[in-house]
Amino acid sequence: MAVETPAKPSLADRLYDKMFHNYLWKSIFRTGYPNTPRNQMLIVATNVFLHLHPTRLHRTHVKVTHTYCLGGLSFFMFLGLTVTGILLMFYYVPSVERAYLDMQNIETTVQFGQLMRNMHRWMAHAMVILVFMHMMRVFYTGAYKPPREFNWVIGVILLVLTFLLSFTGYLLPWDQLAFWAITVGTNIAGAAPVLGPKSRFWLLGGFEVGPNALIRFYTLHVIGLPLLAAIFMAVHFWRIRRDGGLARPL
Amino acid sequence: MATAAVARPAAKPQPRARDEEVLVWPDLVFIEFIAAMVFTLALFLLSFLMNAPLLDQANADVTPNPSKAPWYLLNLQELLLHMNAALAGVIVPTIWLVIMGAFPYFDRDNDGQGVWFGTENSIKLSIIGGLVGIVGTWFLILWDSGKLAFFLNDWFGFSGGDTFRFLENVRSIQTQLPWPEWSREITYSPWNIVIIGEDFQNLDFPGWLVEQGIPTGVMVAFPSLLIFALWRAGMIFTRRDAVIVLFSGFVGAYLVLTVVGTAFRGQGQELVFPWQLKVSEGIPGQH
Repeated sequence: MAVETPAKPSLADRLYDKMFHNYLWKSIFRTGYPNTPRNQMLIVATNVFLHLHPTRLHRTHVKVTHTYCLGGLSFFMFLGLTVTGILLMFYYVPSVERAYLDMQNIETTVQFGQLMRNMHRWMAHAMVILVFMHMMRVFYTGAYKPPREFNWVIGVILLVLTFLLSFTGYLLPWDQLAFWAITVGTNIAGAAPVLGPKSRFWLLGGFEVGPNALIRFYTLHVIGLPLLAAIFMAVHFWRIRRDGGLARPL
Repeated sequence: MATAAVARPAAKPQPRARDEEVLVWPDLVFIEFIAAMVFTLALFLLSFLMNAPLLDQANADVTPNPSKAPWYLLNLQELLLHMNAALAGVIVPTIWLVIMGAFPYFDRDNDGQGVWFGTENSIKLSIIGGLVGIVGTWFLILWDSGKLAFFLNDWFGFSGGDTFRFLENVRSIQTQLPWPEWSREITYSPWNIVIIGEDFQNLDFPGWLVEQGIPTGVMVAFPSLLIFALWRAGMIFTRRDAVIVLFSGFVGAYLVLTVVGTAFRGQGQELVFPWQLKVSEGIPGQH
């Protein structure tokens, strides 16, 4: 009488078992790959990185042509800028004596320094463009309408913060491009009626772009404005969920 | 027993249609991952091909000509060439940001929400608004830089002579018209009001007209006229329509101002073609 015996596990099966069903792995990832709808929803709801998302969303909203991922990509640029920015901070000292020298060192002697700087620069430009395009997307899809009014206002504030983040970073290389761009830029701010000259003085810590301006712009660029932007972004993302997800026709 | 006050949106969100929904994992997470990868790779590639600029060390004694703000502020720098500095650099952008922030409080009905160009005529209105913004801004820039008068003379042999010289650009309204002397110093306040170092007592009317009056008038009148005309033409019905025209006009004007400020402004902020654009490194001691 032939008895059906289960096939012996292959080498690959045993290897898979050893790698993913051991005590250590299971302590990090409590479940395997979520391959049932129930587990897929659970993983989005319980994973710290994914839980900003809802577990389900309307099918029109996963079409790339609806959002072009512009808001998500703006946030992704912010994350990338944080990473490359931290790497640059290891080598950069915001003093008039050192700043330009440090820039040259980043470009010539630091491993991948030029690459990190390039990434930081181009990502910053990309973020400004993406944020603006995201605003256009939200406008032309009518997604600012009730109940999302206030999230649109937060978006306008985030647009300004993006400009300010980029502007404060512009001075840091301390080259001619940076120096004169900030001189022109702060002169524009200084032209404000009544409060202009004072606010320009506070921004620069003096009457001209100098050591005080450098340290002020640096502090705003690496901690003040990112913190502020992060707070507004948190509210921005949370409000999307609170207001019922992405807008869709009634 | 105290009941928890649950924050609710002011207006009711759409009812959920569960059978129309898909799972975020994998349908959305996958797209997000791909988009992030595409951008990471593209930016790596760009960073390998193009280096971020680094010029000579900052030197307050050497002024490059032209000195320009970062590109996303060049629209304001361009505006600055045509009007009062406070107006161009601070008041106009601030007011515009407030207007833009107020869009959803002005346009409140839910029509056309959540779809690209969801209302009737919205594509047409966007195109008209955008085109008027682009063409109108170019026209104004060309006029105010005196290029319009130059082209009329150079290409068509048309010259207004001295009679129409005051129409050459905005500034010539102040300089070429026989303004009576009293109009250059009109006392509107019996005493001098000083607010943080600024005097408010006398008004130089021609100067005010050229630097503030006409630019403000143009910026208010052009969009208003456009919206009015489209309303009379039967294309604008709702507040949403008006806002679409306004926003599209802004995008067009913003684009032109940024491009002109970036690529068409040469030495001394002279209007030139992009291929004529040269930057002088500046001579030490000369500002």
